[in-house]
Amino acid sequence: MQKFFSNRKLVITIVVLIISFGLVSVSVAIRDRKSTPPLIQQFGNDVAGAVDRVVAWPTNGLQSATNSVSDLLNTYQENKKLKKQVDQLAQAKVNAQTMSAENKQLRKELKLNDSLSDYTSVTANVLTRTPSSWMNQIVISKGATAGIKKNMPVMSQSGLIGRIVEVNQTNAKVELISSTSSTANRFAIQITNKAGKTVNGIISGYDKGSNQLEMGSVTSNVKVKKGDKVVTSGLGGTIPKGLYVGTVAAIKTDDYGLASEVEITPAADLSDLTVVTVAEQ
Amino acid sequence: MRYSRLKIIFPIGLFVALFLDGSLSNVFAGRLFTYPYTSVLHLVLLWLVFAVFLDDRDDLATGIWAAFVGLVFDWYYTGIIGVYLISLPLIVYLCRQVKPWLDLNFLTLLMVYIINLTIVEAFAYTWYSLCDVVNSGLADFAVYTLGPTIALNLAIFVILYYPVRRLYFSVN
Repeated sequence: MQKFFSNRKLVITIVVLIISFGLVSVSVAIRDRKSTPPLIQQFGNDVAGAVDRVVAWPTNGLQSATNSVSDLLNTYQENKKLKKQVDQLAQAKVNAQTMSAENKQLRKELKLNDSLSDYTSVTANVLTRTPSSWMNQIVISKGATAGIKKNMPVMSQSGLIGRIVEVNQTNAKVELISSTSSTANRFAIQITNKAGKTVNGIISGYDKGSNQLEMGSVTSNVKVKKGDKVVTSGLGGTIPKGLYVGTVAAIKTDDYGLASEVEITPAADLSDLTVVTVAEQ
Repeated sequence: MRYSRLKIIFPIGLFVALFLDGSLSNVFAGRLFTYPYTSVLHLVLLWLVFAVFLDDRDDLATGIWAAFVGLVFDWYYTGIIGVYLISLPLIVYLCRQVKPWLDLNFLTLLMVYIINLTIVEAFAYTWYSLCDVVNSGLADFAVYTLGPTIALNLAIFVILYYPVRRLYFSVN
């Protein structure tokens, strides 16, 4: 074992560790720039994504098979419940259609062409998830060629799940809202109560234990109740208005007793993602 | 089976392991990443450790493939280059160093694998926390990440040990 840490080897080890640390800090520092990832990395990721499609296909197939079996077992009860909702939905749909037509007309008269809530959507498959306990990221099967850009919001069928952090030509990385890292970007959201009053704020954190989002530093006097709907507010300009985030679970005062903190139950199930939608403004 | 066949099977298996890590993590996300425990799949590491210890001829370019697969891991999964790019070849190097000193059997290999898992996870944790990607404490890391990760990967090790050993026996 004497030769194990000979002088030369020790020097090489230290140099390698320094290089490694340098690479890590540089890539963390340039992660948020518009131009990253560089072309060669994009190319590498595209090739990896193409190979991954082949490997992911049978495993994802297995997942959808088990999902459909469990769906089948719940079908009867679900059907009963859904039948009740369908009647109300038809009414709501017609109502929404007339409203949106009227809204368009009114906007035309005011000469407001783009509104905050306009967006087109791109549907993508989930290829894979980062096998790491530190990063809540997934890779989706659409990239720059489908018009996806950095910072676009991503939704599952039921609600907001995260935002695009890296775009390659044919795939993209999504950082989930459950990400607790301090470098994560935050969403601007608003809560509308039963009386139609709104409270604005941002998602300030995620509580892993209760699986809930937190909206901190709320100083508004508007009364918010449990069950009120939370949507994106469109403030800041990069995220469309009106993407469904979840419902209010609890309101409590923060540690200093000055402002209150709202806990939000996310509508989307972050552990079962197969198809996602990216919203382009 | 001839040895030259192994030189093709090894890199293919390595990349299948890499992509299985990701897609199995996605499929079983509800079970692997339930609060407070997170267990991380390490099939790539397992495949590398098997290659170093079960291949008697030591003729595979394990170190170079480890660096390459580490680079793809960093690019494709995390976007932060330099963590797996360095830690996987480091593991291969360390395993090569201790191999002559060990009486190779199921149990010693299991012990070596536990140590390797600890090194890789601790390396990633240290680097990420130095760069502010992670902000959880050391105790949380040891109890909620390292423990479940080792438990899960040891189970996979036990299942895969004999089939992979047969593969290497048939070529040597």
